[in-house]
Amino acid sequence: MILAMFRVMALALWRDRGALVMTFVLPPLVFLIFSAVFAGTTGEDVRLKLVIADDANTPASRRLVDALMADPDVRAERAVPDTGEQVRRRVKSGRADSGVIVRADPTAPGSPIVVVSDPSRAVAAPLTMARVQQVMARALPDVLLDRTLVETAPAVGGFTPRQIAVAARVRARLAKGGSAPGGSPLFDREDITGAKKGGGTIAYYAGAVSILFALFSAMTGALSLIDERRSGVADRILAGTRGMGPVVTGKFLFLTAQGMVQATAIFATAQLIYGVPVLQHFGPWLATTVLASVCAAGLALGIVAFCKTRDQAQMLSTFIILILAAIGGSMVPRFLMPPWLQTVGWGTPHAWTIEAYQSILWRDAGLMAVYPAWAVLAATGLVGLRLAHTATRLIR
Amino acid sequence: MTDRPILNVWNAEHAYGTRKVLRGVDLQVRPGEIYALLGPNGAGKSTLIGAICGRFKLGAGEVALDGEDPFTTPNARARLGLVPQEIALYGHMTVRENLEVFGRLSGVRRRDLSSAVALALYLTRTADREHVPVRHLSGGYRRRVNIAAAILHGPRLLILDEPTVGVDVDAREALDTVIRNLRDTGVAVLIVTHDLEQAGALADRVGFLREGRKVLEGAPRALIEQAFGQEMEILVQMHIEPDMDGESILAGEGLERRKGNLWARLDQDGYNAAAQLDRRLRSLGLIPREIRVRAPSLQNLFSLVADWRRAA
Repeated sequence: MILAMFRVMALALWRDRGALVMTFVLPPLVFLIFSAVFAGTTGEDVRLKLVIADDANTPASRRLVDALMADPDVRAERAVPDTGEQVRRRVKSGRADSGVIVRADPTAPGSPIVVVSDPSRAVAAPLTMARVQQVMARALPDVLLDRTLVETAPAVGGFTPRQIAVAARVRARLAKGGSAPGGSPLFDREDITGAKKGGGTIAYYAGAVSILFALFSAMTGALSLIDERRSGVADRILAGTRGMGPVVTGKFLFLTAQGMVQATAIFATAQLIYGVPVLQHFGPWLATTVLASVCAAGLALGIVAFCKTRDQAQMLSTFIILILAAIGGSMVPRFLMPPWLQTVGWGTPHAWTIEAYQSILWRDAGLMAVYPAWAVLAATGLVGLRLAHTATRLIR
Repeated sequence: MTDRPILNVWNAEHAYGTRKVLRGVDLQVRPGEIYALLGPNGAGKSTLIGAICGRFKLGAGEVALDGEDPFTTPNARARLGLVPQEIALYGHMTVRENLEVFGRLSGVRRRDLSSAVALALYLTRTADREHVPVRHLSGGYRRRVNIAAAILHGPRLLILDEPTVGVDVDAREALDTVIRNLRDTGVAVLIVTHDLEQAGALADRVGFLREGRKVLEGAPRALIEQAFGQEMEILVQMHIEPDMDGESILAGEGLERRKGNLWARLDQDGYNAAAQLDRRLRSLGLIPREIRVRAPSLQNLFSLVADWRRAA
């Protein structure tokens, strides 16, 4: 009996070729778009667009501007006309992510450089400052030394003539491209998984898009419960001996299988195009995929079963899909959200699914790290299924 | 037809909140019998069918399907097949696929499914369309497949809710033949319908439900004879729409408007009265296009019952 309903759902999808294509081709496509869009914005390939004006027009300021223009990590351009006002105009109009105005000689005390940014792109300002400092350290170390000497002198009671002579020699060598004696960098970078390059965000969005689509497709499939009430099929079945139980269970199994096939399409794309190591972690990946699909199917049926009309169900499911996706991290990574929203996000299956996939595919965190996520996903799915059974008994 | 009813309803009472919809209805349907349950909207027909299908417990009274309560004993519902008013089928699936699905959902074992589908296709005369998707079928075929999906598990009582809605005359005759075939196999058939013509033509017995009470029950012909005796119905189709004076004349002759320009009355002296009426109307300047005389139908009985209730 359960398989009979599975067959009804499968044939409905198979014979609607448009829906079939959208169910299994759209998810990998959306995944590719999301990963391309968001991988850049979360730090792996950020190249800010800078507009620069040199109001000081000194030898040091010209060297700084030239160094920024040559830096491959930013897309820098000179303001035309070369004024601070023009920089502000271009940032305000959105034609540049941020602006740099060199208003005084960089060796001068105080703040000779102004970074102009739009509050709606708040992250651009600190990134620009860091980039300018990096460029100065690399291309203008003599200028940095001058600034350090000027700012340090009052604290140490001035330098002796011998110290000033040594500094002048070092400065002359730095100006010719030498390195500062004992000038070790403040930071050293270490990636958490040294062998993997560029896959963290991809694995994140593979999980994010797969749970998004699993829930979306499950909600659409669960709407057939309402259609069956409207078309009299439910009346016919309720007049029989078994009631709607096998119907709900059959739909649950189909929607779970559908979610798994969608996730497979997404992760196959992730492995083929981005090298996300799915096959290398096949067992835990499969378990996560099954449980995420169980969760989506149960949740969708549980919600739709309590709706009396198709309009109610459509409105509610659209609302729930959008809200869960937004706060669960399917649209924007959760670490970019306010702390309280990150906490709220743990109430969504999306957060747990993404966490489980990240733990398995990116962090190599081991099974102990994913058990809580698996438990939450399984429990949510089974509670939803239970609610769907209860609702179909109550709503006659 | 045997004497022992497959369906027994005793003194059924039910209310939704303070609104009483069933007020002590008794009903028996026997194997090999077609019973038509008639009544206007709100008479309590759907509530009664819901109770028979075990969808809820009656406020008072009892329902027994072959001796068992369908609400408390779900297995009793295995003897029941429901044909909903809607086409309760999956449009994207073929006739056979639908029957296989509903066969499994109604408890037919996998090994018996093929023969059950074949029998249902045969009884409903739909075998020639078994591989056609339901959405491509005509209205009449869909109605027959709708019935086929309800008889796969071999029910002893078949309930048809408004089976002729949206069906043309030819399709309705085919549908009537299917229902008679099922009756002839010993199935008890309970039809809930507004279609008095179909009820009169098909039913062995009819029951009129009104305001939650069964107000009349019996064989259609016997009920009509009992109510109208030798009276015949005279139908007058006017040539043109009468003006107010014309309407007064027609009313003065005891004629009531039926629909459009058709007027009717009952008369003991059918054919002679019709001839006299024709002469009289012509003399008054009203020219009938057609005058027909026929035996009263369930429609007349239905109107009569409505009038009784109104008078009461």
